[in-house]
Amino acid sequence: MNPAIAIVFTGGSLTIGVYLATVLDSFFAARVARSHEHAGQLLLEPLRNVALFVSQRRTVTERPDRGAWALAPALLTALAAVAFIAVPLSPDLAVADIPVGIVLFGAALVQVMVAVFLHGWSPNSLFSMIGGYRFAALALSMGIPFSLVLITTAIPAESLSVGVIIESQAHLWNVLRQPLGLPIYLLTALGFAFWGPFSHPDATDLAGGTQGETSGAALLTWRTARAAILVSAAAMGSAAFLGGSLGPWIPDWAWSSLKTVLLLAAMIWAGHRMARPRMENVVKLGWLLLLPLALVDVFVSGALALWTP
Amino acid sequence: MTLSAIIVVSAAIFGVGIYGVLSQQSFVMIMMGLELMLNAAILAVAAFWWGTTGGNPEGQLLVIVVMTAMAIEAAIGFALVTNVYRARKADITEKLKRLRN
Amino acid sequence: MDTVIDAIFWVFAASAVVTAVLVFVADSMVRAAYWLMASFVAVGGILVILNAQFLGLILILMMAGEMTIMAIFMVMFMMNPAGLNPMLMVHQHRTAILSGVVSFLALATVGLVAEFPNLPAPAASSPIVPLGQELLGRSMLIFESAGVALLAVMIGAIALVSQRGRYGDAEQGSLEPALEPGTNE
Repeated sequence: MNPAIAIVFTGGSLTIGVYLATVLDSFFAARVARSHEHAGQLLLEPLRNVALFVSQRRTVTERPDRGAWALAPALLTALAAVAFIAVPLSPDLAVADIPVGIVLFGAALVQVMVAVFLHGWSPNSLFSMIGGYRFAALALSMGIPFSLVLITTAIPAESLSVGVIIESQAHLWNVLRQPLGLPIYLLTALGFAFWGPFSHPDATDLAGGTQGETSGAALLTWRTARAAILVSAAAMGSAAFLGGSLGPWIPDWAWSSLKTVLLLAAMIWAGHRMARPRMENVVKLGWLLLLPLALVDVFVSGALALWTP
Repeated sequence: MTLSAIIVVSAAIFGVGIYGVLSQQSFVMIMMGLELMLNAAILAVAAFWWGTTGGNPEGQLLVIVVMTAMAIEAAIGFALVTNVYRARKADITEKLKRLRN
Repeated sequence: MDTVIDAIFWVFAASAVVTAVLVFVADSMVRAAYWLMASFVAVGGILVILNAQFLGLILILMMAGEMTIMAIFMVMFMMNPAGLNPMLMVHQHRTAILSGVVSFLALATVGLVAEFPNLPAPAASSPIVPLGQELLGRSMLIFESAGVALLAVMIGAIALVSQRGRYGDAEQGSLEPALEPGTNE
């Protein structure tokens, strides 16, 4: 794909995705709070937020690390874009369907750890720093199950390329073949996007955590990038587990977009319905529950691949 | 992008790594120098695989082995740094002047 | 197209060396850790250009976690993690610079002068499938030993720094086990 078209396509898709994510977030928040909001109000809410953030004053802290503070939201956005281009929305709309697409996606998402830590470290403020540390613990605990279930989808496909993984689900989706995969993937993706039950780094019990000292356009960029990470994770989830662009009647890209929005809605709904556990319990969850389940997933898929013709 | 050019780049990174290991006082900075040296080694091995082995996968295996060695060295290094700090309250090499007993 | 790839290679190579030097020049320690990360990302980029895409991406993936841990260790152990009071904490500076330069010259001379066999890896094919077959085929012993070594290191590192041993808290110092099991003597 022509690089210029690729940039425009990625930027446009991610913008639409982030817009949808914000609308869904407000929708589910309103449902949980049982307040009745107009559809029009919900659809305009992201634009109101943008206007609000852009007009805020920038706060400064004492002796911050200016370079890193400016870098962190930009880095997070870049990582969301790189993760997104690893997913082919359809065989003709593939920006970077390289032979090691899954590894590209994993590498991009793991760098989120760097971005959040820098964002927590640079304001030179206590609670931001604690938020950064929390994310390091969270990401390390969630990282291995995340990578394992993605690699497991490569076993029946016999390739690390996302396009081939989508093709290999032509007769049976991975969500049915590897039932443990999608729940673990959704949980760990929520962890990496620090959303919902895993919103420890930016939580209200830390006075805002890593984004507590950020304001204005930087905060807008940070939150947009965070939603973009969630959108990219949903896109890869739909490709790896729900068969991506496969399906009858409507065109490929419509199917993959539909499945992505479905997973996005599922994750945001879960984010509003699940409580945020204590940090110790999150680490225990990652290492003692998700990692053994991911290993069981790998073994069972490997056994099935070896022993069925 | 010839093999020699990549080896020269790798030698440069290695030289910076040696400078770091020999000159730094803080344990963590010494470890960073070690990481740089192993980084240079990975680059060199990958360059030799690309240029001289004709696609033999054992070259890539050597890269993976060097990466494993890097991870192992970092893990044990950090464990030892933590222990030395707890035992002697020392975070730079100048504070370790005598071997006990 | 070749010149574009060459240009990208030189950009990556230059950034790898420059960020490597910045690691030791930076005042702020967290920045030093992330300059090291940048050096690794540059080397990973070169690996991707050399058609070892899997290895390059794996390198970048590994280094994210490792460098964050290094940054955390910096903050734990260094007296000046943000570099707010810049000081030059080096010893035997001139010896170190000399050794660095000498090793660079020696290795670079070898690289430039020696005659290497010219068997380029096929650029068109993807090296993933042969790598997988090699890892789980002929070189499985090496691969499994690396896995067992990593497991041993995990257990060893946790054992080294754990605060609580079999015989009590680490703060108390170690007491030998009793001569008669079950009693205190």
